[in-house]
Amino acid sequence: MSTVHARAAPAGAALPRGLLIARAWEALGDAVAPLSNPEGRPLARTVKLILDPLVLRPVQNPGFAAGAVGIEHVDALRDRITAAGPVLAATAAWFLVLKKERRRAGITDGNPQDLYFQRCYELASAHGDPRGEPAAVARRAAAVLAEVHRREGPTLAGVRDFVAGHGDELTRLLDAAWAHPPVPRRAPGPARPEAFLATCATAPDRALFAALVADAAGSRSAADLDLPGGARVRGLTDLDRPVRPVPGHGASKQNLPKPFDRSVVERLFAAVTGPLRDALDDVPALVRQEVSRSAGPWQLADETGRVVLALGWEATAALVGGPPGPVGGAAARLRLRWDREAYVHRALRMPSSMPDGVRADVDGVREAYQRRLWVRVHGRELRHDTVTADELWDVLDGVLRSVILDQRDRLRSALRRRSDGGAS
Amino acid sequence: MRVERTDTEVRVGPWPPHAERTALLEARGAVLAWDVLADDPVPSARIHDLDRAADWLWEVYGTAVTDGATEVTVAAEGDWRVRDAARVVAHLRWAEAWWPASPTAGVPALDTALLRAELAVATGSVEHLLDDEDAVERALAAVGPFTADPAVDALAARLVALAEDYGVVLTEAAVPSRSSFALAAGGGERADGVTVLSGAEVVDWALVPQGVVDAAADARWSVVRRRGSTFLEVAVSPGPRRGTRLAARFGQVDVALDDTDGLGRLTGSAPVPPTVLLLPPAQRVLTVYAPDFASPAADPDPDARTRRAAIVAYARSRVGSPTATLTERRAGRR
Repeated sequence: MSTVHARAAPAGAALPRGLLIARAWEALGDAVAPLSNPEGRPLARTVKLILDPLVLRPVQNPGFAAGAVGIEHVDALRDRITAAGPVLAATAAWFLVLKKERRRAGITDGNPQDLYFQRCYELASAHGDPRGEPAAVARRAAAVLAEVHRREGPTLAGVRDFVAGHGDELTRLLDAAWAHPPVPRRAPGPARPEAFLATCATAPDRALFAALVADAAGSRSAADLDLPGGARVRGLTDLDRPVRPVPGHGASKQNLPKPFDRSVVERLFAAVTGPLRDALDDVPALVRQEVSRSAGPWQLADETGRVVLALGWEATAALVGGPPGPVGGAAARLRLRWDREAYVHRALRMPSSMPDGVRADVDGVREAYQRRLWVRVHGRELRHDTVTADELWDVLDGVLRSVILDQRDRLRSALRRRSDGGAS
Repeated sequence: MRVERTDTEVRVGPWPPHAERTALLEARGAVLAWDVLADDPVPSARIHDLDRAADWLWEVYGTAVTDGATEVTVAAEGDWRVRDAARVVAHLRWAEAWWPASPTAGVPALDTALLRAELAVATGSVEHLLDDEDAVERALAAVGPFTADPAVDALAARLVALAEDYGVVLTEAAVPSRSSFALAAGGGERADGVTVLSGAEVVDWALVPQGVVDAAADARWSVVRRRGSTFLEVAVSPGPRRGTRLAARFGQVDVALDDTDGLGRLTGSAPVPPTVLLLPPAQRVLTVYAPDFASPAADPDPDARTRRAAIVAYARSRVGSPTATLTERRAGRR
């Protein structure tokens, strides 16, 4: 069966969810304009951060889930948004207040929608509309901004100082962790990654995903990384075999080596300079865990993450001429995205000859993919944000999209650089 | 429009026949395309993930496509603001890639800074249906400051508000300069030497970046005998954008176009064996290309001249037209 039609319901039995939301939203009028785009539709983040998790809650109300909404749920969905009208209007008003306060305080970092939308909804639920009591409103707005921008969590300086002060201990820990590498298990287990990939885009099999984790399918697939060149063809190192990382000193975004060639400090760099660092453990735990993580299969600590890496590697075989698997499966869909890019490339008049650095990424798309997937999974592991079966397809697809968009950006800037260099 | 359903996609309508006339939008679950020369507000679509696309597809066609119809008729009246906004984004990206700036045909250059600003604002209107979740941030990051001008004040205000909503600090860096181009008159071969053979060839747009070569003018070549030697001489009219290295290939000979003649044309000359005169006409083909951008293609494109003439005429009609984007309306007005 074609998965493309999987949820296309017969006429009249269902309506697109986006259409129902747009109609109900329209009825709320100008009061929610700060949460809307110029066409009067809710902003992407209004749906993602407010309507979905706080108003519609598809987890509790499966009838409101993405895609088509059955005719029997249509009124309920509209009623829910209508009922939330006053609090949404107040949320919008609070957003204006917070933006004004942000401007006044000279804050420029972070995306205000990401940072404030849910806070505004909380404020609206607790205190109602902000118009009326200016002193209390200003005080609350300032307090929320202070809290949001306090930026707790470990810093790069903290990591650097800790590593510098504990060099001997960390070297000992690294030696010990790397002295007894995990015994590779080469035999495939009973749970099959390709079976999960076949349906994960439309109907992820949660039980099968759990079985893959229980069965250590991720660790099994890491066995090849210890073979000569095994980690290199997966884009994770420039070396024939990964070597024990050093504790390291500094790190800079421009010259990060490939993941397995990074020092401990470099491995933690992205996480401690990113926006979500309040979700990280404190510095000593963070560093010591990274030491033991570096000696694990896929150089990850959590089996779920390793399974994601195994699935990514399996699914991208089709990008370099491998079998695409069943129609509608993850591998086939990734392959279609990659093929589509060749067309988009021509339609956008992107250069067809490219500098070596970018060419290496295009020719080695599977390596670039696996590298980016590792970085993403590693980052989530540090934040204790484990990938779920339901999220898996979005992660796999999102990584390829980001590899492709990154290639476009690099092509454009390489071309601009060379034009500027050649200007007379 | 016909709706075809295959194993892997749903296809709505015919696809525009050539990349040069295709205004493309990468949406969530589908790619939309408007044929620039057809001027139809309803795009064609290639839907690869109907589940994802269903959320917004009704803004483009109504609900018939998701309901499984094999034929879809889209009413002209109705609230199609989102579709129209999507078309503006696609159209601006087309203009960014293919706008046929041509001093000889009177198609003025676009103001890149204005284009980027308008594109960012338009992207903000359709963010909810784009494949790239960070499209607005990306578009805002590409914006440079543009010339203050009452006509663009409203756009500037919207841009500032949008940047604030997404927490993007607009860059203060310099804008790429738009040189005022010298008008090149035709004719005027080199005075010295004897021209034995000459010809003209359209420049394949796909082989040079946008704006580097006059989109409507031919590249001219001549084989010249001078003081007992044979030279191939090439001249091409430049577009508004300078700084890109150009070359030309003729048979087996490569010529760097690194000189400028009295008419402002980019020129190059290379010694060739006299046997070049014996080449059959089919091989006396000149290909201009930017070596950093593309390699000369082998496949001839017999429709190129007509198609490009139509696109150049279309672009001329957009300058100053009230239905065009601000960027097109204000082309050459800076």
